[in-house]
Amino acid sequence: MTGRRWASGALLAAGVAAALAVGASASRGSAPATAASSKAFPTGPVHLTMWWWGEQEAAGAKKWLADTVALYEKKHPNVTIKTVLQTTNGLVPAFKAAAAAKKGPDLQYFWGGIWSLEDAWAGSTKAVSDYIPKSELKHYLNTAEDTYNGKVWTAGWYVQPSFPVLYRKDVLAKAGVAPPATWKQLLAACDKLNAKGITPIAGGISDGWFGGWLYATIGAQGIHSVGDVLGAVAGKKKFTDPAQAAWWTRLQEMRDHNCWNKDINSVQLYQGQQKWSDGKAAMTVTAGSDVKKFVTQVGVSKVGVMPMPKWGTGPYAGRLGATSQTVGITAWTKYPQVDADFIMFMHTPERMTAFFKKTGAFPADDRFNTKLITIPQQKVLFNLVKNGVPYLENFIPTEFDSKANFAEAQLLLAGKIDAKQAADASEQIAARIRRTNRDLIANFATWSKSYK
Amino acid sequence: MSAPGAIAATSIGPRRRRRRLRLGRAEPLVWIAPAFAVVAFIFGYSMVELVRQSLEHDGRWAGLENFRLTVTDPTFQTALEHNARLLLAVPVLVLIALLLSVLLFEALRGWRFHRVTVFLPYVLPIPVVAVIFGQMLQLDGLVNQALRGVGLGSLAFDWLGQPSWALWTMTGVIVWKELGFGVILFLARLLSLPGETFEAARVDGARFFRLHRYVTVPQLAGVIAFYVVVEAITMVSWVFNYVYVISNGTGGPGDATQVAELYIYQSAFQYSAPDLAAAAAVMLFGATLVLIIVFFRVQRRAGFIAAGD
Repeated sequence: MTGRRWASGALLAAGVAAALAVGASASRGSAPATAASSKAFPTGPVHLTMWWWGEQEAAGAKKWLADTVALYEKKHPNVTIKTVLQTTNGLVPAFKAAAAAKKGPDLQYFWGGIWSLEDAWAGSTKAVSDYIPKSELKHYLNTAEDTYNGKVWTAGWYVQPSFPVLYRKDVLAKAGVAPPATWKQLLAACDKLNAKGITPIAGGISDGWFGGWLYATIGAQGIHSVGDVLGAVAGKKKFTDPAQAAWWTRLQEMRDHNCWNKDINSVQLYQGQQKWSDGKAAMTVTAGSDVKKFVTQVGVSKVGVMPMPKWGTGPYAGRLGATSQTVGITAWTKYPQVDADFIMFMHTPERMTAFFKKTGAFPADDRFNTKLITIPQQKVLFNLVKNGVPYLENFIPTEFDSKANFAEAQLLLAGKIDAKQAADASEQIAARIRRTNRDLIANFATWSKSYK
Repeated sequence: MSAPGAIAATSIGPRRRRRRLRLGRAEPLVWIAPAFAVVAFIFGYSMVELVRQSLEHDGRWAGLENFRLTVTDPTFQTALEHNARLLLAVPVLVLIALLLSVLLFEALRGWRFHRVTVFLPYVLPIPVVAVIFGQMLQLDGLVNQALRGVGLGSLAFDWLGQPSWALWTMTGVIVWKELGFGVILFLARLLSLPGETFEAARVDGARFFRLHRYVTVPQLAGVIAFYVVVEAITMVSWVFNYVYVISNGTGGPGDATQVAELYIYQSAFQYSAPDLAAAAAVMLFGATLVLIIVFFRVQRRAGFIAAGD
């Protein structure tokens, strides 16, 4: 026991070194992916692995994926696909570790925008547009955020309306509060609900992710285009500029008006949302793909859905973010054409219908039969997402998201810092990333040209 | 049955002797060569690669730039500061472990039960401990509910959600988990001591405090030193599991529970900065190496393990 302990430092160092060394030597030896790869469907045994996530926000996806794999294997008896559901905190690090070793899944789940492109820039994925015909790909929704240098790197699976506010009509009515449409109304609603002993909005930030949601839903209202944010990342603008920093002030206002549950800092996002389901809070913020689950739990007549109340005057104010959760083909897969074929199989009309029926989430495909949407809240959501705007969190480095949005939001909500300190810290973090991750910043500078 | 074997041994004997003569002093080296090669490959190659990577950026020579960037990173500085603060738990661990082991040694009523209770946390997997404490220490968790239930609501803090409390709370969890090891270590040593020493001290009028201050503690010096070094290494480079599970992989709230190991992990596997992770890992390895050297020196000086007592 003790022997293991004193060697722990050496083991950690050796472990990191081994992973990095394998990655370094593998990357030196790997050939770049080209569109010229053979596109003929193999006839010999093919074993694929897919690492995915999504059951957490689109309940029922696991069953749907199992059915889809079974149907695909029936159609192609020489193919077997193993699916591995990842945890929320494990999804990104597990893939980065696999990428370092150039060994792991053939198909990988990615959130949109930077979550997909960061790995494309690192050479860990092949562009799906090299394997999926244009005539098919043009139907996939929100591909723009996964496009870089003219190639689409990952393919949309389902749409993530990001992120609607759900309110409980029964709880608001009890306090005599109308659903707030503007920021002023929201703060007034917080005061009124608190006076009645009702938690205004339930959330959880101990796992960090909610900080990114808040940044996108509140922060997007202050800017004029995604180019503003990409420019700030690249150093052409600053995160202390009024348009970029105003959201911290809004968050501080929410804190000062006690809009959140008192334990927001000590519970995880899903635990916070549960308080709303349990009737202990009037509002919550949730993944759009999860709306059906919440509405079914609480009751169709009791739930309303809306975008984050409006405070800004920019083009994104009062509108919902629209992004697609995607699937990508890894750089080391032996059968990219089979991976691509499976992705296209996921988009067949029968599979899309089954996905929506099973999960309530919208498939990321304009051929999806929208007549299937019958729950009123989902109709509202669909209309909001049809008129949706880019989801801001997908346009910043993931390191910035973690260190600035996640961490500073935790500190601000805990009362340790104010809005100005949060904005200053964000800019310092961005400045450091500009210094330490020069390749990433160069990619951002190129990316920002597509969003002027 | 034995005859053929004996014949074989006799016939093989001279040949063996001849080979030994030819290898001479090099023979031990030949025997350890396979094991040495494995160790050299696993640790040596990895360490060389680690150091190489820490001196490069994108495969190009970067000198000490990665070290400079890492050392000047406020998050890394915070992580080191937290590791240093965790070291404060070591004397606390020693004192409590000493007290408990003495009480158990003195045959406290129900000592068998207490011994199991104290040791149990040490054998529990860290992720299990961290998940359970993470739930119990939430603002509306079991601990605060209990405090409110007995009228101590003013002590119901947001143990893990408040940045100023989070690290100390986590330290408490680590102390709870690590204590059992110290107690068992000390108790084993106490039970191996000759009873006459204690009898003589008692006959001379030494009561509880004086007896253990002047008789027990000096007898335990070697084991205490060993425990101190092992726990110091734990606090410097063995707390990743606690931090990762309790803070949901963030090192938060803010960077309140950030430690060096988590910093390395995040840099390498979350932020695509393997060169900076390598630089931090080299520094952590250096720090651990110092503690390992101290460990061996203590071990050699105390000599209790080699002596078998």
